Amino acid sequence: MSETYDYLFKFLVIGSAGTGKSCILHQFIESKFKQDSNHTIGVEFGSKVVNVGGKSVKLQIWDTAGQERFRSVTRSYYRGAAGALLVYDITSRESYNALTNWLTDARTLASPNIVIILVGNKKDLESEREVTFLEASRFAQENELMFLETSALTGENVEETFLRCARSILTKIESGELDPERMGSGIQFGDASLRRLNRQQSTSRKPDCAC
Amino acid sequence: MGQREIEERRQKLRDQLQAVSRKVSDLVLENHPAYAVELQRVMELQQTLQNANVICSNSRRKLNAATHQFTTSLGLLANYRKRQQLVALLKSLRTIKTLQRTDIRLREMLEEEDYPGAIQLCLECQKAASTFKHYHCIRRLSSKLQDTLVMIEESLDVALSKTCAKFDEHHYFKLQKAYKLLGKTQTAIDQLHMHFTSAIHSTAFNIVLGFVELSSSGGETSSQKRQYSDLCRNISGDLFTPCLIDLCKALWEVMKSYHCTMQWHEHQSVESETTEGEPISSSAMVETSLNRKYLQQKLQHGLTRIWGDVQQKVKIFVLSTDLSYFKYEEFIQVLDIVNRLIQVGEEFCDSQSEGLQDSLRKQSINYFRSYHRARMDELHMFLENEAWELCPVKASFSVLMLQEFKFLRQKSKKTELNNSQDKLSDVGYFDRYADGGSPFDIQTEEEETEDVMATNGVGTSASQETTSQDSDSDEDVPDELKQEFIDEKTGEDAPNKRPSSYRRRIDSKAAGKMAPIITNTTLNVCRLFGRYLQMMTVLKPIAFDVTICMSQLFDYYLFSIFTFFGSEAEAVSRSLSNKLRTTLKRIHDNLILDEDDDVHFSQPGGAGSDSGVVATMTDDSKRDKVPHPHLSSIVDLMDERTMYGLAQRIVATESLVFLAEQFEFLQPHLEANIPASKNPFLQQFYSQTVSTAQELRLPVYVSIASRSIDYDNLTQQMHQVKWDIHDIMSQHSAYVDKLVVEFEAFHQRLSQLSKKVPVPKAVNHVIWEHCIRLANHAFVNGYANAKKCTNEGRALMQLDFQQFLIKLEKLTDLRPIPYREFVDSYVKAYYFPEAQLETWIRDHKEYSGRQLSSLVTCIPQLNKKSRQRIIGMIEESEKNRR
Ligand SMILES: Nc1nc2c(ncn2[C@@H]2O[C@H](COP(=O)(O)OP(=O)(O)OP(=O)(O)O)[C@@H](O)[C@H]2O)c(=O)[nH]1
Ligand SMILES: [Mg+2]
Repeated sequence: MSETYDYLFKFLVIGSAGTGKSCILHQFIESKFKQDSNHTIGVEFGSKVVNVGGKSVKLQIWDTAGQERFRSVTRSYYRGAAGALLVYDITSRESYNALTNWLTDARTLASPNIVIILVGNKKDLESEREVTFLEASRFAQENELMFLETSALTGENVEETFLRCARSILTKIESGELDPERMGSGIQFGDASLRRLNRQQSTSRKPDCAC
Repeated sequence: MGQREIEERRQKLRDQLQAVSRKVSDLVLENHPAYAVELQRVMELQQTLQNANVICSNSRRKLNAATHQFTTSLGLLANYRKRQQLVALLKSLRTIKTLQRTDIRLREMLEEEDYPGAIQLCLECQKAASTFKHYHCIRRLSSKLQDTLVMIEESLDVALSKTCAKFDEHHYFKLQKAYKLLGKTQTAIDQLHMHFTSAIHSTAFNIVLGFVELSSSGGETSSQKRQYSDLCRNISGDLFTPCLIDLCKALWEVMKSYHCTMQWHEHQSVESETTEGEPISSSAMVETSLNRKYLQQKLQHGLTRIWGDVQQKVKIFVLSTDLSYFKYEEFIQVLDIVNRLIQVGEEFCDSQSEGLQDSLRKQSINYFRSYHRARMDELHMFLENEAWELCPVKASFSVLMLQEFKFLRQKSKKTELNNSQDKLSDVGYFDRYADGGSPFDIQTEEEETEDVMATNGVGTSASQETTSQDSDSDEDVPDELKQEFIDEKTGEDAPNKRPSSYRRRIDSKAAGKMAPIITNTTLNVCRLFGRYLQMMTVLKPIAFDVTICMSQLFDYYLFSIFTFFGSEAEAVSRSLSNKLRTTLKRIHDNLILDEDDDVHFSQPGGAGSDSGVVATMTDDSKRDKVPHPHLSSIVDLMDERTMYGLAQRIVATESLVFLAEQFEFLQPHLEANIPASKNPFLQQFYSQTVSTAQELRLPVYVSIASRSIDYDNLTQQMHQVKWDIHDIMSQHSAYVDKLVVEFEAFHQRLSQLSKKVPVPKAVNHVIWEHCIRLANHAFVNGYANAKKCTNEGRALMQLDFQQFLIKLEKLTDLRPIPYREFVDSYVKAYYFPEAQLETWIRDHKEYSGRQLSSLVTCIPQLNKKSRQRIIGMIEESEKNRR
């Protein structure tokens, strides 16, 4: 059962350790909260086909380890990412403060056109909140990021986050701002659109496999 | 005759008359008293007669009266008798009336399910009816009674059929009693089997139907009339498991009922044997025992038949849905359910359940194929995204620490647990769930405690990841790598923390004194190993297929490392051993999509639908192949400053070596799971492929060695040296110093690098060996360039090389310096007399013809002729060599 899709987007989930990146990804893919999640070692991977604006898009998501010691491993995954979720934990100012570093990393290592969405996770822990929505919104605005608060626990806004990021990329493709054909764009045509492209080409040639 | 005579005669007659008259008078006088007496007697008689007459008339009169009186009392008597008769009739009529009423009572009794009572009653009635059969009305009644009896039998049958759904001892006892009364125990058991068969059919059908209707929700489809197998095909994926569970539960109930029925009969026969106190006629005994034997046989046969039916139903159901897109744990759950059913079957009738096993096998293969396909694609992606950065893990890291291997770690614990479970299952499912429930509700309830499902990762993979937890305790330690490195050197990394001896074994073997060099992708493959291994234990029937797939993971990893790092250098093909070459070719042929294919493959729709057959055919042959891997563009192997990506090469190659070690470590586990007949494959894989991992170092590092030092320059510089000198030199030539400088610089960079990436000794040695080999070759080439040479020149050569060796020994701890003989011997051959030279040449095929002939050319003690001859010989063998 090979899946067909129009585009493939390479996504990245970054942010300090323990902010809930793996949980967000798990929630997105399995629609379940990952109980006692452990620190990610290196990079983990998940993929899911979503429907965005009438197009089916396969998201290839790399969930990176937030711990400093894996930085050298994780950095190598930045290249060629079309979108990134920059995650902090609303109950941890420390994780919020680290955002600038993460952002610099992303801007320098990833493609300049990368679409980044700022994600304030653990929205469900309202009582322990250390970072206000307003403050983070301002930060997002200043750095031209999209922004959402999520809870991997309840699932609130999790899918929305990925969809919004994907939608934004799609819009950029359609407006021509992003060129999927360019190397390292983090975007590929899927089977479905390839097939469409091919059909146009193959009318002219290719009677060679009729044996 | 005259008147005288007449008178005479008259006289005479007168006389006579007188005489007679006198006589008569005398007589009269004589008889008169008698007469008187007689007369008297007559008178008396007359009197008596008159008396008699009176008496007679009197008595007649009296008689008349009597007669009259007598007849009236007889009438009374007759009446009395009549009354008696009528009373009797009334009684009969009452009985008949009751008989007729009994019918209603019978119905009531049936409703109360008092079958034995009803039958008893009915039989009594029949008997009663037969005594009244002279009544007209009774005839109809008795035929009606017969009908009733039939009806009772029918409802008895219905009641019997309920046994299939739920066995109730009390209920069944009544039924059996009833059948016994009817004398139809044997029929009953036949009937019962029929009911069980149809119960299985209808139960299965209804459950699946229910789910189909649930999902279609339209309701108007005539699902009712569809075939079971057809229905099964209409179960939507998300309802598959719940439906399977329900199906199993329901069929379990049926089987349990059968089981109970059997038990009841066994119990019954035991009981009757013991309670058979009073003597029964032997013929009756023979009959009951025959009967019992029949029952037992029947029930025993029934077991297999019923299990066969159950199996068939579940098999059809299981096979009609494509499970390949199920999540791992979902699929495992399905397996678990079916396996449990198989266990139930085993307990039920010692069945091997070929049908179910077969369905499991089919589904598992199908599932696993697509699972593996997806994993290979994922691995492809991992490999192509891999930057070959070191992924820092604990020095003691081994696959066992991964969540995916938790099941192995727990194995010992688990076998204990299993033992206790075995004890539990000795009790058997049927006893365990005798009071209700089924082995199929277990999943949700006992999941955590029983740890059946814990054998599958992913879903629960969240639970403690030992690797990270252990190693993360020292989070944010700066320069962590170094730290771990040092830790290891001092040997402090808590070997005492590791409990199991086998883990220590792998530690010492794999890690040596260094943290393992692994990458993110290696880690991922390790995790997959774990998952595949788990699958092997769960999917026993396809364990070997899984093993093959596991080997493909390794194959692909190995092939990628070779493709990325080992295939660029020209020199590579020569540095490959035959074994490695064969292995790489095998992988390429079996696993890798050709680049050209690849192009076609990425345009699968190109052919359109018209050539669908062709497309599917090629698709199928490619189904199990993966694209040729491409190195991530992040990695630059051409940059001289990074020593041509040496760090990445090391990480990549050593991660492969690590992976091979881990794979070797898993060998016994694999062996334990596959059939013994398949062991040779595994052994061959280990000896042919896994063991070649280290050999890959050669082609990978040779390009570093060949590019890091300018060997050609060395040869060129040597060209400028004069070898036909006549003084013994005390000072070595300048080119040696230049070479040594190059080597020192190389050494310097290597040790710089080892601060960033651990360079295992083996790697260090391989690199040095390559360098030295190449340098020595350059030496020989340089010496071979000497057109003329003197003994003193030869001595200089030795001095130069000696100098090189002395300096080299300071740079590397590789001992002895490899290929030293190669140079030494070449230089010294110069001194050989002709004969010895000849044998030497014959024995040293490692030198090229050019090297040999130039040696011969510059040897002064040879005359022209023998020089010619030897060169001819060299050229000859050179030809043969090709
Ligand atoms: N209450 C709450 N807890 C959360 C939420 N998301 C994650 N957590 C918890 O936060 C902890 C860390 O979550 P992870 O997803 O492992 O964090 P991470 O960002 O992947 O961490 P690294 O892999 O080390 O980078 C876990 O204990 C989660 O249970 C959330 O939305 N709400
Ligand atoms: Mg994580």
